[in-house]
Amino acid sequence: MGKYDKFFALAKEAGLEQVELSIAESRSLNISLFHGEVEEYKDNNGYSILARGILNGKCGAAACDIWNKDKAAWLVKEIVANATVIENDDPIFIFKGSEKYHKVNTFNKELENVSIDDKMNALYALEKACKEIDPRIVEVAGTEFSQTSEKVTLVNSNGLNLVQKSNYFTFVAQCVAKQGEQTKSGYDFFLDNDFSKFNVQEFAKKVVKATVDQLGGEACETNKYKAVLHPDVVTSLLRAYLGHAEAEEVQKKSSLFIGKLGQKIASKKITIEDKPLSKNVFARWFDDEGVATYNKPIIKNGVLQTYLYNLTTAAKDGVQTTGNGFGGGSKRGIGTAFVSLKPGKKSLDELFEMVGNGVYITDVSGLHAGLNRQSGNFSLQSTGFMIENGKKGKPLDLITVGGNLLDVFKDVLEVGNDVTVSPSGVSAESLLIKKIAVSGK
Amino acid sequence: MISKKLAIEVLNAALETGADYSEIFYEDSSSHSVSLENGKVETTSSNSLCGVGLRLLKNNQCVYGYTNDLSKKGLLALANSLSKSFHDKRVLTVTKLDMIKAKNRNPVTRSYEDVPIEEKIALLKEGIDEINSLKDPRIVRTFGVFGDNRRFVAVFNSKGKWFKRTSEFGRMVFQAIAADQNGFEVGFEGPGAQKDISYFRSEKVNPKKVARKAAETALKMLTAAECPSGVMPVVIGNGWGGVLFHESCGHPLEASAVAKGLSCFSDNKIGDYIASPIVSAVDDSTMPSEWGSIDIDDEGNPGSKRLLIKNGKLNDYMIDDLNGRRMNREGNGACRRQNYRYVPTSRMSNTYICNGKSTPEEIIKATKLGLYAVGFNGGSVDPTTGEFNFGCSEAYIIRDGKIAEPAKGATLIGKGFEILKKIDMVGNDLDLAQGMCGASSGSIRTNVGQPTLRVSEVTVGGRGGELK
Repeated sequence: MGKYDKFFALAKEAGLEQVELSIAESRSLNISLFHGEVEEYKDNNGYSILARGILNGKCGAAACDIWNKDKAAWLVKEIVANATVIENDDPIFIFKGSEKYHKVNTFNKELENVSIDDKMNALYALEKACKEIDPRIVEVAGTEFSQTSEKVTLVNSNGLNLVQKSNYFTFVAQCVAKQGEQTKSGYDFFLDNDFSKFNVQEFAKKVVKATVDQLGGEACETNKYKAVLHPDVVTSLLRAYLGHAEAEEVQKKSSLFIGKLGQKIASKKITIEDKPLSKNVFARWFDDEGVATYNKPIIKNGVLQTYLYNLTTAAKDGVQTTGNGFGGGSKRGIGTAFVSLKPGKKSLDELFEMVGNGVYITDVSGLHAGLNRQSGNFSLQSTGFMIENGKKGKPLDLITVGGNLLDVFKDVLEVGNDVTVSPSGVSAESLLIKKIAVSGK
Repeated sequence: MISKKLAIEVLNAALETGADYSEIFYEDSSSHSVSLENGKVETTSSNSLCGVGLRLLKNNQCVYGYTNDLSKKGLLALANSLSKSFHDKRVLTVTKLDMIKAKNRNPVTRSYEDVPIEEKIALLKEGIDEINSLKDPRIVRTFGVFGDNRRFVAVFNSKGKWFKRTSEFGRMVFQAIAADQNGFEVGFEGPGAQKDISYFRSEKVNPKKVARKAAETALKMLTAAECPSGVMPVVIGNGWGGVLFHESCGHPLEASAVAKGLSCFSDNKIGDYIASPIVSAVDDSTMPSEWGSIDIDDEGNPGSKRLLIKNGKLNDYMIDDLNGRRMNREGNGACRRQNYRYVPTSRMSNTYICNGKSTPEEIIKATKLGLYAVGFNGGSVDPTTGEFNFGCSEAYIIRDGKIAEPAKGATLIGKGFEILKKIDMVGNDLDLAQGMCGASSGSIRTNVGQPTLRVSEVTVGGRGGELK
């Protein structure tokens, strides 16, 4: 402990029964270009501490971002003041530790050795490629490289002391295309911790295609269509869908999965796994409460296998925590580090053939406004393409798609094989669904 | 706090390699929040934020770094590290720092630091009791949150200026979830201001009134049918309705989009018609004690009132000094950031469409068949294409000039520059509403606002089929 001894001593003096510190330290470099010049260069040292403590069975919390004797005293004072007013009777825990942890390496030393010149060259090449691939690209609105290394430490008065280090890099590009009066913008994101996996030309082609393909679009007739949903769209919907598997939502009767354990809630084609121990940058081998995480199915062949628990919600249901105690403050939240939708066998072209005539939805935006997380109903601004005679057809502009989360996953006829990992820690594929309501003209 | 002497040393170290501007942003702020769920105190938390952001500019280039190591050694190390991005000779040396004094339009007489948690809890309980007094079993879950924030900022720059600013904010939020066999609906109200806690016991804003409104909205929307879809006239309610202008026109009028030619208004010049002639719009950071007001911005430019659109014509932008360089304009007090971890840029403050001549009743009466959108849960915009979307949390169908049945799940989409030209009636009941706006420089407090107004046609997304 050393550095934090003072805090633990003060906490004891103040009568706090158990205390815990979650410390996040980070170093990040961020470079963006505009018109061939470095527009912004950021070099940041981040440090933050969340302190939690139990007084008379209630949990108080306080956070700060500098460390000295005064701050240690301030944290203790605030924890006491905050714990004193808590009225929630839920059982709370400062964890003693799991029997066994399955450590996953999320820190790639090689990445730290990549020279700044290599990174800058890749960034300049990316901007150049975005500009040159297609004459309809009138502007590269921004390209950006960032690299972050993080260290998460969890240390508590019950003797737990866990550390996970990780690092990763990202490339981002945003392009603007014009045709006549119409302007369209496209954006993409690449995240990994193995620099050799980044292919400038491939990434640039993807961003440019996503941008220019939207040109010439118009709204389609308002109707219900058979549809293929792009993996990015599936990812957005999947995250909201899995929110209903959180035990706290279930216990508080706000979940659409209440009473559905062991029951079929989705198409038999749907298998969703929580995989915190995957060999990728998203892996977390202990959750924010210090519990060892493990891989498990959440939905298997359409049947709900488990709710997601942290220590508090598990104690209330009389079950073991599932190691999903992520986020939150004095009260820990529930979340996932990495989830994966099991791929099917069909290619995207085969899905289009199966649709015959319908729509291909490639993007949805405004989820914070257009999706009612409680009811699962959504109506979202979207872009995409018509599917005509089994092939991708003309682009769609100014449409919204509407539906309900439960129905979307029930209506899945086929899962594609186009595995796509998003920066939000979700691996998903294209989905062919029976119908979706599109409102256009 | 950093001494002036140390500030000069750090600013000069940063200028060593040819930067033409350097700036230290020091922040020491604290926030507290307490939340109730179903009437019981569920969580409380205290947060302290203290750090320095150092910004170097050279022509259009920006170098930024932040640290929590506020020692002389730590700050000089940051300055030296950042200055390595440039390779020229020094062009500037800072010898003294003069203080800029700004008018204090947002004083808080009783600091939130002196308000005991119990007083905030009492306020929230009063609101929740009011919801419970409705004795409606369909209300299945309630939330009450009181959050307050005290922010001290000191900025030192190579123009030889420095200033400090202290601000305090309070916000009271109530949320109710109503459920029946058909599903769930949420009602939300969250007024806030740069005013002390007594504001939340005023005639306009008090726990009973605010909490009841949240519960009533949730219950009303529970009985609503799915909103029809298609292109239709939409009357947008006052206050929160201003989120339409915020998303579709406010963001594209920020210099961060305009300066680089990335705004849907980039091709327009000052004086061009970009809206219907009955539309004027303002961004005003000088409104006393308002949620989005600032006395002085993060670059030391005083807060100002900017007339963005004058009788339909483009008139001004929100500008920060750096983006101003590309526009040959000085910053006009719009430079803001969430905290020291963010690079500041041009942002909105209190942004609203000005009052027109019609009464809200006249606007409804003049609409035969359409949508009346009153509450919104937010939205987003692509400033380059102008495409926006926003979701309605409370809406009604208008039939034969009268407000008829409620409609849920409506999403309005369109292009900002087209919508502005289609505003055909503007009401006289301007009101403001408080929100948090997210963009590259983080999440900041902004007011949206407008009087009731009508857009002749908007694409409405909903699940209820055609509007009949």
